[in-house]
Formats: sequence, C-alpha cells, structure tokens
Amino acid sequence: MLLLVLLASVVVVLFKGALPAIEHFGAKFLVTSEWRVNEVERPLRDAVGKIQFDADGEQIIETIPQAFGALPTMYGTAVSSSLALLFAVPLALGSALFLVRLAPKFKLAAPIGFLIEFLASIPSIAYGVWGLFVLAPFLQSHIGPFVRDLLLDVPGLRWMFFETVTIAGQTSEREIPMVGRSMLCAGLVLAIMILPIITSVSRDVLRAVPRTQVEGSLALGATWWQSSWMMLKYARSGLFGAVMLGLARAAGETMAVAMVIGNANAINPSPFSPGQTMASLLANEFNDPGEKLHRPSLMYVALILLVMSLTFNIVARWLVVGKKQ
Amino acid sequence: MNRLLALVLVGVAMVMIVSDAAKAAEETRLQGAGATFPAPLYERWVAEFNKIEPSIKVSYQSIGSGGGIKAITDKTVAFGASDAPLSKKELEKMGDAANVLEFPATAGGVVPAYNLPDVKGAVNFTGEVLAKIFMGKITKWNDPALVAINKDVKLPDLAITPAYRTDSSGTTYVWTSYLATQSDDYKGSIGAGKSVQWPLGQGGKGNEGVAAVVQQTIGSIGYIEAVYAHANKMNAGAVQNKAGEFVTAGPNSIGAATAAALPLMKDGKLTADLWNLDGNGVYPVSAFTYIIVYRDMNNLKTAGEAEALKKFFTWALTDGQEISASMNYAPLSAEVRTSALKEISSLSKQ
Repeated sequence: MLLLVLLASVVVVLFKGALPAIEHFGAKFLVTSEWRVNEVERPLRDAVGKIQFDADGEQIIETIPQAFGALPTMYGTAVSSSLALLFAVPLALGSALFLVRLAPKFKLAAPIGFLIEFLASIPSIAYGVWGLFVLAPFLQSHIGPFVRDLLLDVPGLRWMFFETVTIAGQTSEREIPMVGRSMLCAGLVLAIMILPIITSVSRDVLRAVPRTQVEGSLALGATWWQSSWMMLKYARSGLFGAVMLGLARAAGETMAVAMVIGNANAINPSPFSPGQTMASLLANEFNDPGEKLHRPSLMYVALILLVMSLTFNIVARWLVVGKKQ
Repeated sequence: MNRLLALVLVGVAMVMIVSDAAKAAEETRLQGAGATFPAPLYERWVAEFNKIEPSIKVSYQSIGSGGGIKAITDKTVAFGASDAPLSKKELEKMGDAANVLEFPATAGGVVPAYNLPDVKGAVNFTGEVLAKIFMGKITKWNDPALVAINKDVKLPDLAITPAYRTDSSGTTYVWTSYLATQSDDYKGSIGAGKSVQWPLGQGGKGNEGVAAVVQQTIGSIGYIEAVYAHANKMNAGAVQNKAGEFVTAGPNSIGAATAAALPLMKDGKLTADLWNLDGNGVYPVSAFTYIIVYRDMNNLKTAGEAEALKKFFTWALTDGQEISASMNYAPLSAEVRTSALKEISSLSKQ
C-alpha cells in the first residue's frame, strides 16, 4: 500500500513538474530532436540570405526560442540497452547453463554463484570509472582502429566510420574521430553491469526446470546440447523475465553511462559516435537547470523514463512470478 | 562489563553533544551557496577568515550558479554566488530589484585547453578561429587559418574534437558570450547561454568532465576554467585580444581585463562583462564572479548574523584578495574594491 502511494506520488510530482513542457510540446516532444536550452538572437534574413532592415534602417532581430525534444535520448537509451543485451544475454545464458548443469560436478556452483552475486553488488559508479579510465582508452587506441581497418572496405558499412554534417547550410562528410567514449563503450559497460543479474536470475529459473523433463529428453536420445536447448525453451518465459530485469537496469543506469557515452544530444547512427541516454541527460543537466522550459522538459524526460521502466518491470514480473501463482 | 562500557560511551556522547550545542550558541553561522568556479577560493577564504574570527563560521556549498540564485531567491542562504550577473527575470523573482546587491568577488578566465602531445609552446587562437572550431567549420589542426597565426609552432594533420560542458554553467556562459562577440555566424546559430546546443564534439560534466575528455583524446580542444586548467597542468592556448596581442590567461592578464572594465562600471554599477575588452595585455575571455545579498538583509535572523556577513566580505575584499592572487584568481582592481566595500558597509539589517 505504502509502495503504491510512493509510486503514485512520484508520478504526480513528475507530471506536475513536466506539465508546462507537456502543454507546450505535447506528443511532438517524443519525435523531435532539438535540445536548445538558450534562446538565439540573430538578424532576420530573407530567402536568399539578405539581412532584413526595418523602416528606420535598423536590423530586424529574430529570436529563436528554446526547443526540446526527447528523440535523441530515447534513441540513445534504446541503442545502448540493446547493445548491452546483445553482449550480455548470450554470455549470461551460457553462464547460467554452466552453473546449473556443469558446475555442480566440479563443486564450483557455490563459489561461482557467490562471485556473480558479488559482482551484482558493485556500485555502478565503479563500473563507470573503470569504463572511463580503462575501457574507453582501450577502445580508442585498439578496438576502434582495428574494427575500422577490418570493416572499412565492406560495402554498406561506411556509415559506421563517416558522418555527414550540415552546419550553417553546408553539408560535408567527415570521418568520425575514434574518441573511445561512445555508444559502443556505454553498451559494453552496461553489458558488464547487467551480466550478473541476468545470470543469477536465469540460474534460479533453470534450476526450477523439472528433472523429469531433462531426463526425459536424454532418454529420447537428445545430446547434451539438445537437452540444454530444451531446458532453455522450457524456461523461456522466466529467462525472458531475467532479461527484462537486466534491460530495466541498463535503461535506468545513470552515472556510469554519463561518464562513458560522450554526452552528445544527437542521433548518430555509428556506434563509435557519442550519444546520450535519458538517464545520462538527467544526470548531466538536472543539477542546475536553465530558464523557462528546461526544467519541465527534463521532468518530461524523467516521466517517459519512469513509464518505460515501469512497463519493463511489470512485464518482467508478470513473466517470472505471475505465471507460477 | 559490556553494559557498563555502553553506558560510559552513551554518557561521553551526550556530554559531547551538550558541549557542542553550548559552543554553537556562541557561534554565528553563515551559509552561502552557488557558483563552482570560485568555490576553491571561497573555501580558502572561509578557512583563513575562521582563524581571524573564530566565532564566525561561514560555509560555502558549490552547487552551481543557478542553484545559488535559487537559494538566495528562496532566502535559504545568507548569500548566493553566481558567475553570471542576475538577469532581469531573476531580479524580478527576488522581489524589489533595488533591494538586491550583487558585487564582484574575484575574476577568472576561460581557456581553450588542448591535447597535442607533439606540439611545443602555446598555440595561438583568434576568437573567429575558436568560433569556427566549435561550429565544426575548422576540422583539422593544420587548417590554413590556424597555421597563419601559429608561425612558430608546427601543427599536425589531425582532426579536431571539440569538448564542451554538458551541465549548465557560468563557464559555458562566458565562453559562448565571448564567441558571440567574435562571429555573427556563431551568434546566429549556436548563440550564448549557460547551456547551448553544440553541433559536434564530446560533452563532459563539470570542468573535470571536460578535462577528462581533453586529457584522453588526442587532437581535442575544450574550454575550461583557467584556475582548473592551471591546477591540472593542461596546455592552454593564447587568445588574441582586441588590441591584436596573443595573451594567455593569468592573474595579470585577467586583472588587466578588470581594470579595462572600469569605464563600464560608472554610477555605482558593480557588474560588467569582461569579455572582448580593449586594452594592452587584456585576456579577452575573462569574467567577474559575483556575490548576491539582500540590502535589507531580511534573509538573516539576527543583527549579529548581518554584522558577521559584512565583516566576512569586508575582509574578503581587502586581505582576502591577496589569497586570490596566490591561487591564480585575478584580484579585483582597487577602484572596484572601493566601490564594492562602500556598498557592503551600507548594508544593514532591517
């Protein structure tokens, strides 16, 4: 009951704070990608770029208002979390299978299980510091150049290493500098962070697979791999729930991502480009928000993030717990 | 035995709490909050002042200029601190504008810090070149515009990665305001503010975030508060001032900027923009940082607190200024100090 009240009050506070932005931008907030906190004043120009003057010969100044849109950060959250799942899920499921089927034979289940739970309890800032000082420089000096040399001539992959930019009406193509702090770096750090939680939940789910099922499949002549595959299939809804829990943690991770993602509010398709997630945007800007619609817009982003992680959690809960009852 | 020990411990703790409370009764506590850029200086001031006046305890929280303005507007602190002078709107929110006093406490600069390991000596920049770099129009270090102003330095064929602040900050405000005076293109596309939309580059949170980006990325250039860049031994470029000289930031060149601002500070006005000022030896990306108080001091509880606040800032603007110079901040010029001190002495609790 208390939890419900707490949740409701969080939603109410966020909604009230975000209201000016919701009224001003509406649903357009979700599909636009500008994030301009300051107003820009410039001389008004006509279609051919001539500066306009008023009757007294003074330049007419146009003011470009603040603009906020959550699309780049939603994209950033989606991509960084997907990358994290891409790296973490195969490893986590493999580790869980090892823990359930192989480790007990070698008396390794308990110590490795303890290590995994220990990894899950490391504060995220520690992963962030490691990402910033170890992983990012390594990506910059080794992985990035290696991948570029490998894939540069593969047709259809040019977008990973070159970007087109339009600045003041001029479009040009330029090479994306390998700086280390990028969407890829964030995805890798998140993958390492969510690996323990997915592994430990998957292990418990796989343990719950009835022994008769496994033995039955072996009796029918299945190989070790086939019976493992059968186990995964049998436990798929629970495993899906484990993955969703990992996804929720990845999508909501704040400081570690802000340290390694490069913090650029733009949609860059290349994984070597900097990006921004909703959570890292809040970490960066909420401390000292600017005037007018900046704070409400940040509240709006927080509201979207909350609704999204709630959905993840509810789906995950329903899959892991709901079906047993 | 254990119980006895516990009892003794509780007793000792209670005595300590009581004696602490008694001590607190004799002390006057003042709380300030705001800008992060002068925070190291303010914290040093607080420590030094406490040696002279042990009965006055000042504490300063560096929560950012915006937070400082909000705190003084809500009257939850004795004084606020901000890198940018109050805007009209912010003054309105504080009630009667005539009741608000903002005065400069020190001055600082923002420097272009870069990471070019093979380059010896300071790289020269002009305002226009810096604006073009941050707009993405100059993308290589050996761009003809950069080579032309760096005859003595061999610049590499290397991509430029601009680095910027992602949090709202006075440093960004000063940097963008300066660039807006240098390029109309820049002014009309990115503009000036505490937080702006950069078209390219890498963002970092706080001076330390930008410093991390610059230190880790070869070929990057970021704008960093001068004291921070100096303390972290980062390479900072020289920027061309209005008189045509290439000047690096330091107490002398920023001090020259505060002196050049005197004509702008007539009739008791204590705020002035220090960027792009005319004069020899002036560092062009300089700025004052301000303290904000109420003239009627109705945010303070007692007359004793009001007196303590006046005492602290009177000391800060006299003896405290020597500390500024030793920490690489620029001390205020004598004229600015005199007029600020006059205003401080006229404060009284009502």
